[in-house]
Amino acid sequence: MSEIKYKVNRLKTTNEIRPLVDKHWAELRTAKERGEKVAWASGPTFIFPYAMGVKCHFMAGYAAYCGGIGAADEVLKVAGQTGDLPETCSYHRLHMGMAEAVKRKIPVNDQAILPIPDLMISGRFCTEMSHYAEGLHRRMNVPVTAVELPMAFEREDLPRVKKFVLRQFKENLIPTLERVFEKKFDYDNLSEIIRNLKEAALLRNQCWEFFKTKPASWTLWDYGVSIAPVFYLMGKPGSTEYYQRLLKELQERREKGIPALAPDGEKYRIYWDGWIPWAFLGKFMRKFTPSGALCICGRYPWEFFPHPERLNPENPVETFVDSFFDEDSPQCFSNKAPKGNVEFISELIEEYSIDGLVMFSSKSCRMWNLSHLDIIDTLNKRHGVPGVVIESDMIDSDMVSDSQIDTRLQALFETIDGRR
Amino acid sequence: MEQIVSKFSEVALDPCTYLTDIKEQKQKKIIGCFPMHVPEEIVHAANLLPVVIWRGNEPVTWGHSHVPPYDCGITRSFVDSAVKGDLHFMDGMVFHVRQCLQVGEFPYIMEKNVKPAYQKVLYLSPSYEGEVIKSFVIEDLEEFKKSLENFTGSKIKDESLNNSIDVYNKNRELLGKVYEIRRKKPEILKAKEMMQIVLACMLMPKEDSNKLLEELVLQMEAKTVAPQKDKVRVIPVGCLCQTLQYDILDLIESMGMIIPDDDFYVGSRYFANKVSTSGNPLEALANRYLTKTPLCPTKGVWDVDWGEEIIQKMKDNNAKGIISIIVKYCPPHTCYYPDFKSKMEENGVAEIMIQMEHEMISLESIKTRLQTFVELMGGV
Repeated sequence: MSEIKYKVNRLKTTNEIRPLVDKHWAELRTAKERGEKVAWASGPTFIFPYAMGVKCHFMAGYAAYCGGIGAADEVLKVAGQTGDLPETCSYHRLHMGMAEAVKRKIPVNDQAILPIPDLMISGRFCTEMSHYAEGLHRRMNVPVTAVELPMAFEREDLPRVKKFVLRQFKENLIPTLERVFEKKFDYDNLSEIIRNLKEAALLRNQCWEFFKTKPASWTLWDYGVSIAPVFYLMGKPGSTEYYQRLLKELQERREKGIPALAPDGEKYRIYWDGWIPWAFLGKFMRKFTPSGALCICGRYPWEFFPHPERLNPENPVETFVDSFFDEDSPQCFSNKAPKGNVEFISELIEEYSIDGLVMFSSKSCRMWNLSHLDIIDTLNKRHGVPGVVIESDMIDSDMVSDSQIDTRLQALFETIDGRR
Repeated sequence: MEQIVSKFSEVALDPCTYLTDIKEQKQKKIIGCFPMHVPEEIVHAANLLPVVIWRGNEPVTWGHSHVPPYDCGITRSFVDSAVKGDLHFMDGMVFHVRQCLQVGEFPYIMEKNVKPAYQKVLYLSPSYEGEVIKSFVIEDLEEFKKSLENFTGSKIKDESLNNSIDVYNKNRELLGKVYEIRRKKPEILKAKEMMQIVLACMLMPKEDSNKLLEELVLQMEAKTVAPQKDKVRVIPVGCLCQTLQYDILDLIESMGMIIPDDDFYVGSRYFANKVSTSGNPLEALANRYLTKTPLCPTKGVWDVDWGEEIIQKMKDNNAKGIISIIVKYCPPHTCYYPDFKSKMEENGVAEIMIQMEHEMISLESIKTRLQTFVELMGGV
């Protein structure tokens, strides 16, 4: 433990996120009361119902929200009581638990409840993302439409994967949405969403620059809670304004010389790999801060539109697919598959002056865990930057072991010290 | 008959020795195909020896430096064997990375630590509806074929592929016959022998296993066995990708139960559905892969019910109960299991679930649970 008393300088703007996301989920929760049809979606497929003015849930966003409001454990408990096994993906269990709570009228936090959808869009980024849609079909008879969204393990596979995904959107998903929601797909509205997304994401990229400064002006945790405006809140009122205010606050910090960590900034600049632990942000912050360690970049946050300048609202479906699968911006290669990860993290280590790597390994979801130990080994040999794996979960507190995490982080900090 | 069964068992119990020898004997390169959906026929048609990757018998040691303990048994066992050099005879490896997340562990680990001369990733889409899906699967198989052609330096002709499909269909037919006889005379083979026969067929050149199977079928048909009418018939289900510990199968049988059929991958699923021999062979292979039954929870099928399929199998075999075998940390199966169990309950079917890990588990606790299960079914 450091003799310096480190403390996080909290940003004010991030307090504005909670009302924005509360409003989003409340609108979805009450949609059926207003006679509206509702969709649920995994992967980034929610943008398509959004374009049609249909309220839509987003699987990972909902799980993050439940984790953030402290509702995850009680919903996961319902899943356990209704048959789900504890090692099953916690996002899957969360959805099954919530659906069972609705079906069996089991009381859980009101804010965690959602309407049972008229259509499930199984956007299969992660192979497990399809299972919750299949489960809801079996239990609730909810219609399903599916889109296969493979990550590319080899760069040369990107063109054919991209073509495949585009065809599925155009030939399968959009016609199904038109049939279920009984209206024409609104391409103009999709363009408008992309236009707004581009504006918000360009501002966010300016905010990212404040991670590069030494000391850094903000933390990955601040960044984590700021994801929604460029993702499931995309195109919604307040998204762009949020990033305008965030950017302004970061600029003020720089002018006044206020670092993310008081008194004088971070001792260790840490790369964080994998999911953001939505239900335990405070806990993890408290594990890093006393040692002067600051998480400043990671793969997960970069998943969402790192190159907004390339978004072209005139070709909304194509540009959306390009943002994940284009060879110039291959999020589904460099950000997802291990071979691409190594090159991508390598760049981040140099660009953000990283001292150590923390690989957050979720015990119930392996999407971001793949080949972690070998990736650490490669990067350590290449850059002399050490790394550790910490085992935990995004939202399930039963899978968080404090002493294991503390010991490994301590070992990492000591290794960094030893090499200095 | 015992001699043939024993030959199959020998292969299944020590695949590394067998494959090292057979490689020398046949002078063929060996390509490891990670279960469950890599179309081996294409590898076979390239004049290579396709081998289905298996869960080894050794405890995981070096593998701990590469994969976490919360990956499934075959993932950890395969990585362990590969990084230790035990799979030195494998010239190539093929991984269907869209089957489950854990298969995604392999490409980088193998490329970095094992460096096989040939490595290929398949993206075979789940069995969703529509022409887009089917054409992508065919395209993926074409890419696979091309990559093998580049590796061997020889074109794979349709004629070779059709011949390979015939050889594999023959294997499916013969294994089907073995199962058919076993359904009528379940006492004829112990469950572990049946599993070892299927595993051996996954490892041996199909031409060789077909010869042995032909002989086995003849001898099984001729053999008379005393029916054990006091035994309770049960159907084991699950155990995706890998073999079950044979001790568990022995235990089931020692508790007064008998297994006339199964729904294992290293079992009846492996030989289900022949490949059509008319038309484009790659399209025929794609069609087999996209077939939704027997239901595989890795293939994104929501409009066919696994529980109903198994209840029918139970009825067909006059069985009284289901034993679900779940591989610990197998997401496709664990996600499906609650609904499977509900279906059994709704239909009043006796069902018990056993979780298996790569490491030896406490047989005593499984024994107690199986004892209760068999008593509940009104057995011994």
